[in-house]
Formats: sequence, C-alpha cells, structure tokens
Amino acid sequence: MVSERLKKIILETLQLEDFDLQDDTTANMVPGWDSLSHVRVIIAIEESYSIRFKTVEVIRLKNVGQLQRLVDVKSG
Amino acid sequence: MPFNSLGYFLFLPVVYLVFYFVGERARWSILLAASLLFYAALNVPYLLVVLVLVAVTTYGFGIWLYQADTPKVKRALLWGGIGANLLILVVMKYLPFLSENMKALSEILSLDARIQPVKIFVAIGVSYYVFQAISYLVDIYLEIEKPERHFGYFALYLAFFPKLLQGPIERAGDLIPQLKNRYEFNYDNMRFGMLLFTWGLFKKVVIADRLGLYVDAVYNDVHAFSGLPLLLATYAYAFQIYMDFSGYTDMALGSARLFNIHLTQNFNSPYLATSVIDFWRRWHISFSRWILDYIFKPLQMQWRDLKNLGTAAALMATFLVSGIWHGASWGFVIWGGAHGLFMACSVFYKPYQKKLHKALGIENTGILKIWQVFVTFNLVSFAWVFFRANSLSDALFILCNMNGTYNSTSIFKQNEYPNIVFVLIAFTFYVLYKKTCIDCVSRLFMFKYRWVFYYVLLIVIIYLKTNSRNFIYFKF
Repeated sequence: MVSERLKKIILETLQLEDFDLQDDTTANMVPGWDSLSHVRVIIAIEESYSIRFKTVEVIRLKNVGQLQRLVDVKSG
Repeated sequence: MPFNSLGYFLFLPVVYLVFYFVGERARWSILLAASLLFYAALNVPYLLVVLVLVAVTTYGFGIWLYQADTPKVKRALLWGGIGANLLILVVMKYLPFLSENMKALSEILSLDARIQPVKIFVAIGVSYYVFQAISYLVDIYLEIEKPERHFGYFALYLAFFPKLLQGPIERAGDLIPQLKNRYEFNYDNMRFGMLLFTWGLFKKVVIADRLGLYVDAVYNDVHAFSGLPLLLATYAYAFQIYMDFSGYTDMALGSARLFNIHLTQNFNSPYLATSVIDFWRRWHISFSRWILDYIFKPLQMQWRDLKNLGTAAALMATFLVSGIWHGASWGFVIWGGAHGLFMACSVFYKPYQKKLHKALGIENTGILKIWQVFVTFNLVSFAWVFFRANSLSDALFILCNMNGTYNSTSIFKQNEYPNIVFVLIAFTFYVLYKKTCIDCVSRLFMFKYRWVFYYVLLIVIIYLKTNSRNFIYFKF
C-alpha cells in the first residue's frame, strides 16, 4: 500500500495534480516520470525521510510498491 | 554472410527446414550450429574464437557470481567478468586507436617512446555480444535474473544468428525463455517474418543504397562541393543510415520470427522525435536502453548530490561512451559528445522552455510540435556529419561551407536524378504515415488487396536495387 506521504512527494516532484499510484504502478505509467526526473523523485524522498539509498537499491526497484517497502525499511 | 546476399537467401530456408524436421530436443543445437556457421562465413577464423571465449568466460562468471556468499565477493566477480569482456573488446577494437594517439601524444611531448603500430582486427559483431554478456552479468548481480545453467542455450543467447552481427542487443530474460519454448508451426509468424524480411530488404537495397550513391559522391570528395549539395548530402545520409539500419533490423526480426522468436524492435519513427532525448527513445532502442540502464542510471545516482549538474555530467559521460562504442575514431567521439551536450544543456533550459511555451500560448500545439521535430532533426543531422565524414577536417569543411554559394558542380549525376526523387517520395511516405514496421506490416495483413502490394514490393526490389553494399552498422 502506497502511503499518502510518499504519493504526495512523487506527485509534487513530477508536478502532477493527481495520479492513482498503486503498488504495481511503474514509472513509465506515470506522465513525466522518465529517467531524467527519476533522480529528482529519489532525491526528494531522501530529503523528506532523511534517508540515503544505495545506487544498487534504486536500480533494482521495479514499481512503486517496492519503493514504498524500501522507504519503510530505511526509515525504520 | 550479409542478409542481402544470395548466400543468406539460401541459408535461411535450409536452416529452417532442418530446424523444423529435427526433434524438439535437438532444435537449440541446430540454431547454435547455424549461428556458428553464419559467423564462420565471414572468413575470419579468430572471430569464432572470440565468440567462444566471451561465451565461456561470461557463463563461468555468471554462475560464480550467483553462488558467491558475500557482497564483496559478488562485486569482485562482477567487475572481473565485466573487465574480462571489456579487455576482449579493447583488444579487438581499440588498440590501434590507442597506439596511434599515444604515438601522436609522445611526438607532441617530444618523448622518446617507441610505440609500435597495432594490427587492426576485424571485429564484426563483437561489441554487440560483449554488451549482451555485460548486461547478463549485471542482471545476475542485481538479482533480476538467474544464471543459465545450460551452456548450449547460453551460447545461443549470445550467438543467435539473426541478431549476431548488428543486434538488437537482447536481454537474457527476454531471449533465453523464448529459445527454450517448444516450437510449433505458426502460419502468422511465418507470413509476418517473411514480409518483414522483404520490407527490410526493400529499405536497404532500394532506399538506403540508392541514397548512398549520392552521399558517397559528395562525402568522398567534399572539396568539390559547396552550399546546397553539402546540405542535401547530409540530409540524405540521415535518411540513408536510418533506412540501412532499420532495414537490417526488420530483416533480423523477420528471420527470427520464422523460429517463433520475437526480437526487440529497434526503431520507432526516430525523425519524428520532438527533442534529442526523445530521439534516443526511438533510435537504436535496444542500445539506448543498454547505455541508459548500465551507464547513465548508475552514474546519475552516484552524482545525484550535484543535482542538475550531476545529471548533465552523467549524460555527457554516457554519450561519450556511446560514441566510442561506435568506433575508435575522433569523429565518433565528437558525434557522441554532441548528443551528450544537446541533452546536458536541455536539463538546464527545459523548465524555462516549458514556461516560455506556456507564456506564448503554444503549449501542446501542432505548430510547436512541427517546430520541435524540425529542430531535433537538424541537430541530429548536424551530429551525423561527424559520424559520416571521412576525417575531422572533412567534417569541419562541410559545416563551414554548407551555407556557402552553390557551385557549378551538378547536384545529381544525370542518371541518378529520377532515382533520388523516387527515394525521397518513398521515404516521405514511410516516415510521415507509418509508425513502426511491426505496426505497418500488421496493418497490411488486414488490407484486402495485400497480394498486389507483395508483388509490387518484389518487383521494386528486383528492378530498383542498386549494387550490393554492406550494412553501415556492420563495422560497429
């Protein structure tokens, strides 16, 4: 389940008013979430949760659900 | 054995018939033997040795990497496997370039270094299967894929003949499961494959090769021209390389489809791109995904604290590598660098560009799209000058004299004029009204009078083909 907080960060970074982000949503399904904006999303999440991802952890991610679980693990 | 040779026209049906009549258990070995034979037909014996070396090394490293217990050992094995593959690539492709530049540098610095000239190897196909081998190892490291235990299927993944010489660069997860699927005759795949192959042949021998006649005449003697012919030859080259490479890809995809294998589509109307970034989503897609996933993304993450500067630097580094991958010459490096620079700049100006479009009220309008397609095509064509020119000085001459006065040299040789017009009409029709070739061929099946089209296509190929030329991307 994608938290409201994570959803808000992603949508604000991508300048989207609303989008239904589900566990199985992938970046290419979301308008404006391309390889260039991906790093901005990651930086925004890191700053908001005060966490730091490893490069490999981010590259392994396949969908928003996996991103949520990684954030949960990192933020304890 | 190029796809547009008589040898291949005989080879493909023979391989298919043997593949069809042997039992299911032996099918992979027929395809592997055919692939090795196909490679051996280039008459360069050491290429087979290189292919086997890459296959054995990568197969071994893949299994060790998977079985390793600690992250440290895994990382060491990953870099060991990548290093071994890159070493093979450097020896095959870059040693002459490196030794030449070291020699020039030592002369400039007046050093007394005795650098021997290095023999140039024929390296057709090597950069493609080395890139596949690296992607295989990285995917195992990232736990996206498990290693393939059956060496035969693994070797076939690297060597499968339709994509051996010029790609598409396939991921193990996409191709190996298809190679293992039980084969059943599929009429639609057979028909689709044959038509796609013929369509690719048309693009190569009728359009690309015919444009090549004009491009070669100008680019091989640039000082004899100024003004319009230089500009036209540059645009013609942009179309020639597209038709040549996408024609090859269609033939590769068509050949593979006979065996029920779906290879990756490499092109999606690239000259309708609205930015250089968009161009790379549509041009040589299997390659651009590779450099994006395995070079750009890791670098972008590593340098993310630098914000936009980090992304711009990652783009520059990625596309310089892309240039060098295409060949060991400064022309390719500048071509890659130019693409990197276009995209790096866009990282900074894109937000302001969006605001400007909004302020002018032209956001999402047709006129803006046409303008963006026009600008992108010209930026890409500018970079093609360095890609095609025989030397850097030729490239600079072309760029400096493109807007010069049109000299008296005839733009077209008398007998080539109608051909060029035909090519431009055919090309315009193709680019403006069709999406990918797959879409195009699929739609054709629903066309009532499709047989008329088939016959016209064959007649055009037979009567309008030019003398056989090699595919441009063979040398990469």
